[in-house]
Amino acid sequence: MIHIIQKRKYTYWISGVLAVLSIAAIAVFGLRLGLDFKGGTMIEVRFAKSPAPQVTEVQNALATLDLRSLTVQATGDNGAIIKFFASDDAVNAQVLDGLKTVDPGLVVVQSDFIGASVSGDIRTSAIWGTIISVVAIAAYIAFAFRKVSVPIGSWEYGWGAVIALAHDLLITTGFFAVFGKFFGVEVGVPFIAALLTILGYSVNDTIVVYDRIRENLLRSRAKSDFEDVANRSVNETMSRSINTSLTVLIVLASVALFGGEGIRWFSIALLLGVTFGTYSSIFVASALLVTRYKMRENS
Amino acid sequence: MKQKEKIRWQFAGVLALALVSGVIAYPSVFSYFPFPNAASVENSLKVNLGLDLQGGIHLEYAADTSQVPVGKKQDALQAALSVVERRVNAFGVGESVIQLSKSGSEDRIIVELPGVKDVEEAKKMLKETPFLEFRESNDAALSNQIAQINDASKKQADEVLARVLAGEDFATLAKTYSQDPGSKDRGGDLDFVKKGQFVPEFDSVIFKDDFKAGTVYPELVESQYGWHIIKKIETRGEGDALEVHTAHILFPKESLDMMPDSLRYKATGLSGKNLKNASVDYQSQGFGTPQVALQFDAEGSKLFADLTKRTIGKPIAIFLDGQVVSAPTVQNEIPDGRAVITGNFTLAEVKGLVQRLNEGALPVPITLVGQQSIDASLGDNALRQSLFAGFIGLLAVSIFMVLYYRFLGLGAVFALLIYSAMLLAIFRLSNFTPFPITLTLSGIAGFILSIGIAVDANVLIFERTREELSYGKTVAKSLEEGFHRAWPSIRDGHVSTLITTVVLMILGTGFVKGFAVILALGVLLSLFTAVVLVHTWLRFVVGDWAENHKALLVAPKPAPEEENEKSNHSESGIKMEKKTHEEKKPVARKTKPKKRRK
Repeated sequence: MIHIIQKRKYTYWISGVLAVLSIAAIAVFGLRLGLDFKGGTMIEVRFAKSPAPQVTEVQNALATLDLRSLTVQATGDNGAIIKFFASDDAVNAQVLDGLKTVDPGLVVVQSDFIGASVSGDIRTSAIWGTIISVVAIAAYIAFAFRKVSVPIGSWEYGWGAVIALAHDLLITTGFFAVFGKFFGVEVGVPFIAALLTILGYSVNDTIVVYDRIRENLLRSRAKSDFEDVANRSVNETMSRSINTSLTVLIVLASVALFGGEGIRWFSIALLLGVTFGTYSSIFVASALLVTRYKMRENS
Repeated sequence: MKQKEKIRWQFAGVLALALVSGVIAYPSVFSYFPFPNAASVENSLKVNLGLDLQGGIHLEYAADTSQVPVGKKQDALQAALSVVERRVNAFGVGESVIQLSKSGSEDRIIVELPGVKDVEEAKKMLKETPFLEFRESNDAALSNQIAQINDASKKQADEVLARVLAGEDFATLAKTYSQDPGSKDRGGDLDFVKKGQFVPEFDSVIFKDDFKAGTVYPELVESQYGWHIIKKIETRGEGDALEVHTAHILFPKESLDMMPDSLRYKATGLSGKNLKNASVDYQSQGFGTPQVALQFDAEGSKLFADLTKRTIGKPIAIFLDGQVVSAPTVQNEIPDGRAVITGNFTLAEVKGLVQRLNEGALPVPITLVGQQSIDASLGDNALRQSLFAGFIGLLAVSIFMVLYYRFLGLGAVFALLIYSAMLLAIFRLSNFTPFPITLTLSGIAGFILSIGIAVDANVLIFERTREELSYGKTVAKSLEEGFHRAWPSIRDGHVSTLITTVVLMILGTGFVKGFAVILALGVLLSLFTAVVLVHTWLRFVVGDWAENHKALLVAPKPAPEEENEKSNHSESGIKMEKKTHEEKKPVARKTKPKKRRK
């Protein structure tokens, strides 16, 4: 048996440092919000000319238009991605005309225009989705442990799970603040969907560990040390925690590697979330229970 | 023995299910059989691909219903929807989706056009309304303008004539001043003509005997085209065969008849937006030429009354898409907001016009608020890449399961294959239900993720089975225990995943919805395949042979500690001693007591 719970000091440090770094990354770099949250237009074109026109050439062609925060970015595929903020559809047509002056044969391979009202709705539903999911998951945990009271109350389990989940989501978000800064990765609706999926999936591992603690508590009639019971439970469930996550990580890694641009960062968000979710189920969630227990004993 | 028979039947059921799902999932097998309509079966069993996978256009319009009375809002939206639908149909797009959606307080019309490439063209088509406009005569004002233009033109003609007569080169001046595009660049040269080929005013001058070749006619000649300065270059032939070679400089004049209708009639503010409805009518009580009867709304009626009052005796023109369709002369004031469009219409034309006018009167104005377009090549690429990723993921998970759980893992792999086939079969069959499933890129991501989650249930069952085996139970007993005791965890895990997917399904759109629907479906379906199918399979294939080949069945697990017998708080040491006389102790345990004593 590995002494995991007994060494919680170290795992607390690791998690604490990661959490602080994540908060720092979010505070310093900020999250690069996607088009769906802030509205605007993205046009990806493929040029017919070879070599492709320079980025500055494209920028000059669009200079006369009133486009806020215009960015032009060359793609590997003899094309460019043009992003700007304009909530008026008429402007988009002018942009297209402007682009055609650079290369009349260009093809629009992808375009996305999100008006202010649409992005507003998306923000609203993302916020609601997050709130509802968190509340529903918290209620679910409370329901699952409604009958446990010895030696610590059922709501303590709930709190432990919620803190572990918050830890997973925070660190994943921290990573994306860093990705945003250095790779230009944007955080949009898919990212929120990934976070909520992590919420639903990772809570599961935590519940299984807690379940085992409860089971072992009931089975050990004698008053055994809560710390040992918790540690034994973590050890007993560890291979199943790791293996269930591993199968999910295998498929997610496959998507991240081979699945193409459209779902790469989405799967990376899931990958990180599931990884930290498994980590926190094993190393943090049960340790938190023991810490709570000790705190109560001492007081 | 009854039990055995039951298991055998269940197993046969599993095989049949696998076969049926497999055939539906991969309907190309139909083409190997001489079915009469194999092709059509295969065709109807196709997976609906989202726009992001097949390319196309997604347009989102906000409908402004603020001007619509509260009770009529839904009707107005429905009417707007059918207008849009008809326009899309007119465009000839197969499998387009047009739907209403509500978001917050805003009503939206969503249009999806798979396979359509040109976004601007599509938007134009959707916005195109037959533009109906009533205009009044502008001739009085226009005549004044024309007179001014013509005066200026004639003045210039006089000046140039003076210069020609003063000896300046004719051809050079023609090049500079002539407004006749056909001859201008040739110095006004009109080549040889016979009598009667030009307009009479011109013709009579150039065939005058006293107009000598090589001279310029000393006066301006006025024709319907304007003022001409004419030079006779040479003549040839005699009598009827007489031909004259001339050149001219043209200074054009304008006349009312040559003006475009859009200038001859000016806007009155009365247009299609004031139209309440249009209907087919006949000129005299059900007989005669068909015509279009119009009924204006209150504002339109007032505008029309004012218009007819001030234009009595004058024409008003009815413009449709910038063309005059009829320009009746107003006989008297029309106060009731009724008008007719007459013209040389056939009944079919009138019907078409009425329909278009009614369609055109979009009950609510719409503005584009969102647009996505994806080129088919991009979608195709995304489809191939994501399916490849799914294949690799499936393969890797299968390898992992077999390596880690051995024979039991093989059962999970079979279940996974049946799972994939069943999910694919569900996608295909959903076309025949009221809830057709559209597979998007994010849906494929959900599908792949669900493969990883699907085997989770098997991991739980097999881990539990290993644990039970390590207690020394028989294989059959351990398996049953494994399924039985892992079930609550499996159920709980699926519930928590379902909770978030349902939230995402309800609140999400597009990417999120596509992902959540497939993931939810996958999680539910895998509950069946990973538990019921694997259970049936193992009960059938794992017989007495397995008792002697436990290591082949599943990797053995070190025996667990007997926690029930602990009696004091230094249980680790005691437990260690217990283990030592029970069986070989795992290496890791040796270090334990040391570590605890610190």
